[in-house]
This record gives sequence, C-alpha cells and structure tokens, in this order.
Amino acid sequence: MSCAELRAQADAYARATLSAAEATAFEAHLTTCASCTAFLEAAEAPPERTAALPKSVDPGRDLWPGIRERLGKSGVGRGRIAVRGWLLAAAAVLLIAVSSGVTVLLLRRFSGTAAIQQAITLSPLEAQYASAAAELGVALARARGQLAPETIAIIERNLAVIDSALAESRRALAGDPHNAMLEQLVIAAWRQKMDFLRRATALSPAS
Amino acid sequence: MRSLRFISATILAAPPLLAQQKLDKRIAIAADASIRISNFAGTTRVLGWDRDSIAVSGTAPPGVHFFMGGAGRLAKLGLEPEEKSPPTSAGHLDVRVPRGSRVWVKSADGSIDVQAMTGEVDLQSVGGSIRVTGSLRLVTAESMEGDLEVIGPSPLVRVKTGGGKILLRQTNGDVTASSVSGAIVATELEPQSARLETVSGMVNYAGTVDRHGTLAIQTHSGDVELLLPTLLGAEFDLESTSGEAVVSLPAKTGKPRKGHSVYFANAGGGAQVIVRSFKGQIRVYGQ
Repeated sequence: MSCAELRAQADAYARATLSAAEATAFEAHLTTCASCTAFLEAAEAPPERTAALPKSVDPGRDLWPGIRERLGKSGVGRGRIAVRGWLLAAAAVLLIAVSSGVTVLLLRRFSGTAAIQQAITLSPLEAQYASAAAELGVALARARGQLAPETIAIIERNLAVIDSALAESRRALAGDPHNAMLEQLVIAAWRQKMDFLRRATALSPAS
Repeated sequence: MRSLRFISATILAAPPLLAQQKLDKRIAIAADASIRISNFAGTTRVLGWDRDSIAVSGTAPPGVHFFMGGAGRLAKLGLEPEEKSPPTSAGHLDVRVPRGSRVWVKSADGSIDVQAMTGEVDLQSVGGSIRVTGSLRLVTAESMEGDLEVIGPSPLVRVKTGGGKILLRQTNGDVTASSVSGAIVATELEPQSARLETVSGMVNYAGTVDRHGTLAIQTHSGDVELLLPTLLGAEFDLESTSGEAVVSLPAKTGKPRKGHSVYFANAGGGAQVIVRSFKGQIRVYGQ
C-alpha cells in the first residue's frame, strides 16, 4: 500500500468499513511508515488552538453598510463573500505564522522574518506540528526559570541539532516537493523536536 | 586534667554534625505495587527480590532529606535537597523492590541502575546514565544527555536520549530507540520489531531480525552500519538522499549493489529491513 492509498483510506479505517485484508495492509504500512503514522496522529488530535478556531470569521463590528455605501449597489453580493474569504485566509496564515514563530523566537533560533516566511510555506500537516511545537515552546519558556543552567544548555544544544536537520530537510523538500522520503524525513524531524520539547518541559520540578 | 584531655580528644574525633546520613528503612508492599522513586541528590540502584517489601539502604548527604511512605499497592520514596541549591556531595539509594512491581524513577544527574526485575520500569534522568539488566515486561528510559543501556530479552523497550549513547543488547521483542546526536549501538538483537531513529548519531546494528519482523532505521546525517547473517531472509529497502547505500551480502542477487537507493530481496525474503537517511552512508555487511 502506498502512502497516498493509506491517506485516502484513513476515514474508512477510522469508521471500520475496510475489509479485513485492507485493514491488515493499512496497519502493516503504518508499522513501517513514520510519515503516515505522523499524519494519522495529527489527524486524530488536532492542536487545541486549531480545533478552537471558529467555522467562520466575522469582523468585530459590521463594516458592510459603510462599505456598501461607498461601493454602490452593484458590488453587494460578491463583495461580502470576498471579504469573508480574505479574512479566513488571513486568519489561517496568521495562526500558522504566529504559532511557529513563537517557538522559534522563544528558542532564539532564527530571526523573526525568517520564521514567518518559513511558516507561510508550511504544508497543513507541518503547520499542525509547528502549532503543537509552539505550544510546547511556550510551556518550556515558562519552565525555564526552574531549570538549571546546565540543563538549559543541554536543551539548547539538542534543539540546535534538530533545527539544523529540519531546516536542511525542508530546503531539500522545497526543491523536490513530491519526494515522499524527504517529506518523511521532515515529519520525523518535527516529531523529534516535539518529543524533545515535551521531555524538556517535563523536567521542571513543577511537573 | 587527664579526663579533660580525653573529652577534648573525643570531641575533636567526633564526626561533624553535617555528616552523611546512613539509610536503612523498610516497608511492606504488594508484589505488584507501583513504586515512585525521586532522587535529586545522587545515584539510584533498584534491585528486584522475592519479598513483598521495599528495603532502602544508602546515604543521604548533608542538606538532603530522605522520605519514604506507602502501603498496599503504592509507595514513594526519595532524596530531596532541603534548599534550592544542589547538595555539595552526592548520595546513593539502594532500593530493593518486589521483582514484578512497577517502578518509576526520576533523577537529576545521578545514574540509575536496575537489576533482577521482571515488572515494568519507567526511568527518567536529565544528565545521568541509565542501565537496565534483565528480562522485564516493559522498559521505558529517557535521558536528556545520559547514556542508556538495556541488556536482556525484555519484550517491550522504549528508550530516548539527546546526546547520550544508546546500547541495546540481546533484546528480542519490540524495540524503539531514539536519540538526537548520540550513537545507537545494537548487538545480539533479534527483534520482532525495531525502530531506531537518530538525527545526527550513527547507528551500528549487529544481529538478526525475526523471520516476520521489521527493522526500521532513520537518520538525518548519521551513518548506518548493519552486520546481518549472510542468509537472512529479508527484503531490504535502503535509501539515502545524498549519501550512498552499499551492500556486501554475498547472498544478495540482482543489481544494484550501491547507490542512493537500493532495493532487493535476500535469501527469499521474509523480514523487512528499511533504512532512510538524508545524508548518512548506509553499509550492509554479512556475517
């Protein structure tokens, strides 16, 4: 079974509507494919921030009467749809950029501009990892004061290794976006980063 | 005058008030109890035995508080600094626990050593090394920087470290090992399923794979070296984006023998050996 086939059958597997043979092939693929495992994990547990997003985003106050007045009667229907779509897109990009940028900035790895540029080009799956990593980064930043300087040095050293590998894999994937193995390596690096952040956060005496 | 000299000599020879405290405590506990041990001031050794009790010996350095309590199926004990600053000297805990119990140990920089248990262990250390010997139901060990060593046929092993080295020996069940920059060395393994992942560390695997088993290895920049039986029935799927895979198995048929990506079945297939690397070199040798 290929990665694409597995992802196409994910819903059917969750609903238990696959045949026994299909389910066996599905599970066999998962035992050897980190990328698909990560894909399913991400699908099962969307980050709280993403899950909490509203289905639609409206402006804080109704701006439309004023806009309609200026545009005249001809632009009514299309104008409203365009504004809503633009807001949704902006909200999505903002979420990805902010959540990824927070971890990066907290850990002082990249400049803010580079972080935001990087975030905007993330795939949806990566964006979920970035969002979750950002949440862990915030938790780690809160726990930082309770950690010994040597421990902080260990954490930063390991995160630097992971971030360097992640950046290298992402650059390669950008040049060859359909390469499944590169995608797998990028996802693996994200998993490593999240796992390391989780363990680092758990080191604080409070936890 | 003579007695005064004797008293003075006795006072001078007496141990300082802040001497190490010797520990000798016991409590009764169920054979399948859950035991939590925290040691933020030294090394820890856990020994399984055939009694329904916990016995602790060792030393607590000055400024460190020893605590212990529990009954039935739950107990906790440990060494804890009384002040926020770390103690000036290290203590040691020798903890005997029912062999089949579940033990959780959290440590700062001190090593953790587990022997003669058959139950489950969950071990965490920041900078200390962790060593587990024996056949346990479950081994979970995590360190940020310390070395991890698991020896024995435990059916389920989960180990993670950052910069530390991972050594696995004689493990034959389901193994997952992960490091950031530390090497992963596996010897005398015959796993049903092994997943070894590292970012920049090397992977050195010497052993075999269960006939229906899977060996999956992934690195970013670390080299991978496999020493496998010449007649191991397995499908090999080796790929390195900018490194090279080289196979020296005499039983291998077909081509290629080297390249960025090498796929072949050896000795009729059976097990699965999958290696992925971004820029590490992959070498497969027969033994």
